Amino acid sequence: MDALRKDPDYTLYRPILESDRRFYWAIGFLGAVVVWAIVMYIRQLVYGLGVTGLNRTVTWGFYIINFVFFIGVSHAGTLISAILRLSQAEWRRPITRMAEVITAIVLAIGGLHPIIDLGRPDRVLNVFFYGRLQSPLLWDVTAISLYFTASTVYLYVPLIPDIALLRDHTTKFKKLYTWLSWGYVGTERQKHVLERAMSILMVVVIPVAVSVHTVISYIFSMTLQSGWHSTIFGPYFVTGAIFSGTATLLVVMIFFRKFYHLENYLKEIHFQYLSVLLLVFALLWGYFTFSEFLTGIYGNEPMEMRVIQFKFSGAYAPFFWMMVLLNFVIPVIILAFKKLKKIPGILVASFSVIIGMWLERLIIIVPSLSNPRLPVVSEPYIPSLTEWSLFAGGVAAFCMMFLLFSKVFPLISIWEIKDGRAEGLEAVKERLESYLPDTDVAGEGA
Amino acid sequence: MSEPKTNPSGLIFFLQIFSISLIWIMVVSVITWILNLISLSRYLHDAQNATLIISLVVLPIFTLLAGILTYVFIGIRKARPHD
Repeated sequence: MDALRKDPDYTLYRPILESDRRFYWAIGFLGAVVVWAIVMYIRQLVYGLGVTGLNRTVTWGFYIINFVFFIGVSHAGTLISAILRLSQAEWRRPITRMAEVITAIVLAIGGLHPIIDLGRPDRVLNVFFYGRLQSPLLWDVTAISLYFTASTVYLYVPLIPDIALLRDHTTKFKKLYTWLSWGYVGTERQKHVLERAMSILMVVVIPVAVSVHTVISYIFSMTLQSGWHSTIFGPYFVTGAIFSGTATLLVVMIFFRKFYHLENYLKEIHFQYLSVLLLVFALLWGYFTFSEFLTGIYGNEPMEMRVIQFKFSGAYAPFFWMMVLLNFVIPVIILAFKKLKKIPGILVASFSVIIGMWLERLIIIVPSLSNPRLPVVSEPYIPSLTEWSLFAGGVAAFCMMFLLFSKVFPLISIWEIKDGRAEGLEAVKERLESYLPDTDVAGEGA
Repeated sequence: MSEPKTNPSGLIFFLQIFSISLIWIMVVSVITWILNLISLSRYLHDAQNATLIISLVVLPIFTLLAGILTYVFIGIRKARPHD
């Protein structure tokens, strides 16, 4: 243990080895919220969906909004991590693990929401026995299971060298680490096996991630519902997903940087780079939103216009304009100016995007359902305490699982940091030399 | 610091074998499920082509993921220095 204290990366082991009272308080509080959400869910099971605010035309409310939102957030992780690894961006090293953990946890939570939305959750078995792949809902089940499997594998494989380090240097969770490290000690052959597996995973995971959110958009765009039947929903959803995911990653990084004193690893430059990505996606989101409404307004189809007016100036106008403010105006103003683009500003912009993107999911789902094509009277959708509780439970479960993960595994990849110190500089120099033109070419050609 | 023990005890070895089996059980379950969906779509004459195409995309990826994990587990175990 004393030898470990002398390790330059001891800070990364500290959350696992040392106890902090704040950690247990946080787990206690979050656990209480999760238990409350479970109690409310059991109540829903007993009394049925009548305890929610869902009604005759608005049959998809908070649960499906949260489902789309959580699955969207999951995009940050694996996608950003895979792209940064694939492009050999050296600044990725302290970021990738957090991104991958977000994906795995959020997917697990998001994937539960359609089941929560079922009055009879046992009927989910019908998907397995009598499912029809004609339905986009079943495409979702398939795509999300695939993405969850891929992202869990993608989280686990680069974690193996760190698990081996923990097995060899700590006394906690010894059996767990021995089991999960598979006898890894870092021989050349073992490193080769991991590198090979990771390079295949990186390539596989990117199209899977992109396809998942496209498929999520299909549950809306494949219907002829006004406000949903749009050809740009696929890329619009993927953009929104990466946008909200990047914002979540930034919030998580800022929080854990402070909580675990990781200032030496998560430097200002990491936030600067990621905030550029956030700015780009804010602009892209603005562009897609503009295109989506422009085509609708230009077409002037009466039902489509009714939904658009409902969003622009009707009952959902406050939420719509709040969404525009939070997703576009605030992040663009903060991130476009160097003076504001500091960590506190980035935190404000990221929170703004997270809330804005949740509102975007609300704006897509509820107004269309509130304006059905059939001449039936629609009731306003007002979420009940049950829905609010389950939403809070989902967010609390995410925070709690993330904190628990940080107590067992390092949040920053220790072996990648060590590798970066040992070989990174040389590798970058070599790569740079291979990109640049040779200086003596002119002489040779003469 | 003592040298790391890389040779697992009986329980851990069992857990490791169990992990690999679990992955493949999952893959076989997914394949069975998809085959069931294909036969159902044939029986009902319901979007058979779409069912087949989706299956052709999904099944190889699931199998590939399980294959990668098995390759990693076996590769690391085989390449470990013996205690």
